[in-house]
Amino acid sequence: MTSIHRRTVLAGTAALLGTAARAQGVKPRLTAISQWSAGSDGAAITALGKKFEERGGVWQHSPVPGFTTDMMNKLRAQIMAGDPPACSQLKGPEIAAWSKIAPTVDLSETVAAAGYEKVVSPDLARLHKPGGKWAALPLQVYRTNAVYLSKRAMDKAKADKIPVTWDDFNVLAEKMKAGGVANPIANGGTRPDDGQKFEAALVGISPAAYRAAIMNLDAKALNGPEIKAAFAQTRKIADWMDPNTAAQHFSTNLARFIAGDMGIMIQGGWAQGVLLNAGFKLDDFIIAPGPTNNGKPVFLLNADAFIFWQRKEPDLIAGQKLMAELVMDPAIQTMYSQITGSIPVRSDVDLSGPGWSDGQRETASTLKGAIAANQAVLSLAHNMAQENGMTAAMIDVITEFVKNSKITPEQATTRLAEAVEGAR
Amino acid sequence: MRRIAEYVTIWVPLLLSAGHVVLFTAWTTWMSFTPSTLMPVSGWVGWRNYTAVLGTRNWSIAFDNLLLFGAGFVVLTALTGLGLAILLDQRIRGENVLRSVFLYPMAVSFVVTGTVWSWLLNPGMGVQKLVNGWGWTGFRFDWLIDRDMAIWTVVIAGIWQASGFAMALFLAGLRSVEGDLIKAAQIDGAGPIRLYTRVILPSLWPIAVAVFVILLQFAIKTFDLVRALTGGGPGLATQLPALVVYDFMFQRGHIGRGSAAAVLMLLTLLGVLLPYGAWKLYRQRRAARA
Amino acid sequence: MALGSYTGKGARPVRNAPTRVLLHAIAILLAAAYLVPLAVVLLNSVRSAEEIAQTSMIGWPLAWAWGNYATAWSDFCIAQTCTGIQPYMLNSALVTVPATILSTLLGAVAGYAISLWRFPGHAWIFGLVTLGVFLPEQMRLIPWTIVLRDVGLSNTLTGLVAIHTIQGLSFTTLFCRNYYLSIPQDLIKAAKIDGAGFFRIFARIVLPLSPPILIVSTIWQFTGIWNEFLYGVTFTTGTQQPITAALIALTAAVADAPQYGVQSAAVVLAALPTLLVYLFGGRYFVRGLTAGAVK
Repeated sequence: MTSIHRRTVLAGTAALLGTAARAQGVKPRLTAISQWSAGSDGAAITALGKKFEERGGVWQHSPVPGFTTDMMNKLRAQIMAGDPPACSQLKGPEIAAWSKIAPTVDLSETVAAAGYEKVVSPDLARLHKPGGKWAALPLQVYRTNAVYLSKRAMDKAKADKIPVTWDDFNVLAEKMKAGGVANPIANGGTRPDDGQKFEAALVGISPAAYRAAIMNLDAKALNGPEIKAAFAQTRKIADWMDPNTAAQHFSTNLARFIAGDMGIMIQGGWAQGVLLNAGFKLDDFIIAPGPTNNGKPVFLLNADAFIFWQRKEPDLIAGQKLMAELVMDPAIQTMYSQITGSIPVRSDVDLSGPGWSDGQRETASTLKGAIAANQAVLSLAHNMAQENGMTAAMIDVITEFVKNSKITPEQATTRLAEAVEGAR
Repeated sequence: MRRIAEYVTIWVPLLLSAGHVVLFTAWTTWMSFTPSTLMPVSGWVGWRNYTAVLGTRNWSIAFDNLLLFGAGFVVLTALTGLGLAILLDQRIRGENVLRSVFLYPMAVSFVVTGTVWSWLLNPGMGVQKLVNGWGWTGFRFDWLIDRDMAIWTVVIAGIWQASGFAMALFLAGLRSVEGDLIKAAQIDGAGPIRLYTRVILPSLWPIAVAVFVILLQFAIKTFDLVRALTGGGPGLATQLPALVVYDFMFQRGHIGRGSAAAVLMLLTLLGVLLPYGAWKLYRQRRAARA
Repeated sequence: MALGSYTGKGARPVRNAPTRVLLHAIAILLAAAYLVPLAVVLLNSVRSAEEIAQTSMIGWPLAWAWGNYATAWSDFCIAQTCTGIQPYMLNSALVTVPATILSTLLGAVAGYAISLWRFPGHAWIFGLVTLGVFLPEQMRLIPWTIVLRDVGLSNTLTGLVAIHTIQGLSFTTLFCRNYYLSIPQDLIKAAKIDGAGFFRIFARIVLPLSPPILIVSTIWQFTGIWNEFLYGVTFTTGTQQPITAALIALTAAVADAPQYGVQSAAVVLAALPTLLVYLFGGRYFVRGLTAGAVK
């Protein structure tokens, strides 16, 4: 692999030389790869591209449809060929991992000039500046522990209060069950779906334990009572789910959820857009924050981001600068989130305008409250808390637990700790 | 001049093909002893990648599944394919249409057919729901969500997908059976069943070997189908080695461990192929002596 | 000894009428079962995304959404490119057709050389080539990345053709070699005595006997390459991508529900070339060995 290194070092040196060329006014150009190919994701990045072109740039986005790994394979192939894209979609701790294998652009100056760091939550900022230098920029934020309540299921349960703690949640689910809701939990069956149930349980039981065990992999915390309690809560949730869902996408059950055959959905913020696109109305469901036992808001963060790879071509370097400016721009973040249903990364964007939904407003204010209470943490199920290898090892345990009621919370806790040791 | 053209035509493709097999396998084996994570790097970590892979539940489940799935899928698909070929060889009307019907599953993207099977086999929306709807409410067909049976749903979808191709190969074989042989047997008064068991099927042996090899490689490489049908679940119940290799190499960003899993998978394969090779050699020797 | 004396339309050992009726009934039932997944796809291809979301993945269309086909063919967007599947079909054809022809012909020659010429070392090289069918794509991905980089074919359709040709040889050689084993050695010996060389024997004797196996080989290669996804998305960029990438783009959305309606229509359209290969290939298949019989 020495040839790659030599090539990338050369590219790095040339990048410095290229800075001079920018002053001479080249047309900014951006090569980008992402997996955002269709639906609102595709629409949002296309809108971003339009803005890039409006500012005089040449937008060359190549979507890589499929799973995230397909996009990463493409990225790897490009890096190995000595031809990385000017920027690519990447998220969470993978940013730090990948930034070690090829030189990235140091965006610190541009970020400082925009005063961006002040308005990004500290946990999020840390992920995007491996070694203290900004190499990537977050684009949008999702909450992964949102609770969606079916209005018809609430009617069947004769309930009108939004659950605050896990106890409230459990009482509501029981009431729904008694009221004739076949499956109080509306679930998908994918690995991230299973992971979301557990992470929502743990963060609601103890954000401090979540931070210690899941984000910092503290061995003591991993064997602690909170983990057992979270698995026990996950078991309750699993028992209320429809086992027939198998590995289907959560959208498979939307009709039953709205009809009140299923009651509560624990999903990311994106589920709102999915519901509306399927032709359901905002009156059909209620969006609420994830349960929290200490009464203060908890927020599981998931953020999409772009990482910027060093290139020597002056037009690409100019394009990277323009792209960085656009991604940090409050107006652009507003446009982007209004298309996808996420919330802006910047905490200073005003969401009172007409383009925002109540769900988005509630999400943003919950995030603010959670950050203030130090209860905004990084999502495990969506690869924000750990590198992918560790995440996958932990999700293995969680998904087996969800799908197999014979595994006790105690066994699962032991297995989780073992899986962490095995993947370290 | 003509000799050179001959050598080039024979050897260049063969050497490219055999060469890439040897080189890629050697490279993967080398990688399995390196600390490679997101990128291939040199270095030496001994057996550490192997112990790490062998220590996961993913691998042990995948390995058991490979034996179960491999045997079930290869045998059942070959038998189905042979049955279809013999059926079509009976001057069935509309053979053209039927042949296309049995073959078409190979034509459609595997990712998509896996998804469709995930609906059909899903107890909440597929066959079970349909039969329950007919009034037989006690009917259960929920292998897809049953940890012990889920691997057999992959077998079902696999048979559907590959049996047409086995049929095509067998049919090509059936139709190349020498007519003289059949006539001779018929003159000797052989009935249809004896004609098949004594004359026709034994002559299909080389084709059957090709079918087995094709099905075995299907079994070993089954990936898209499982990813779309069960996602490897429920839990980890339908993991297969190809998924584990991909998972470690690319999802978990550990090329070293993924390579170790690939090497283990190839060793398992050799465990099947070597005895076969030895048996063939033994038979050849015996035939030569006789 | 001539192969041609056999009429090739099946051994036809079963003659009595009730059995024949039963056989036809079995054939029809099996065919119906095999068609169920296709029926699901066809029905979904005329259902709207909303309808699928509000009812079930499997179901009879309430309102016929024929528009799915137009959308799939020429309208839907993959990010900023709103061209439907058309250009991706062309990309796939540009890879699949040359790779299928090359690998099938080279495999036929190789299989012929191995089975009927038995040059020194033929068993070893055949063993290695055959081993190639077992190597999973996932394992070959990074080595191919390195090879493409070193020969300067990264992100080109030519690179994909080369990969599929070389990998495909494993299969085509295996098919042809095992098929040619049934050609009597005497035939080749006689031709050699008559003074025919390697190519002449191939062209005059072996090739005319080959249609069934060439069709099998073509079907295998064509469908395999047409439906291949992993290399297709990794080794191409943007508008060069193959049809499978376009199909996946419709269901693997991150923040959206999968678009099964339009995807199903796209799947039907995308499967047409492979189905045509079967229909046209099938005729030769029926003819079997009789057409090219050596007298």
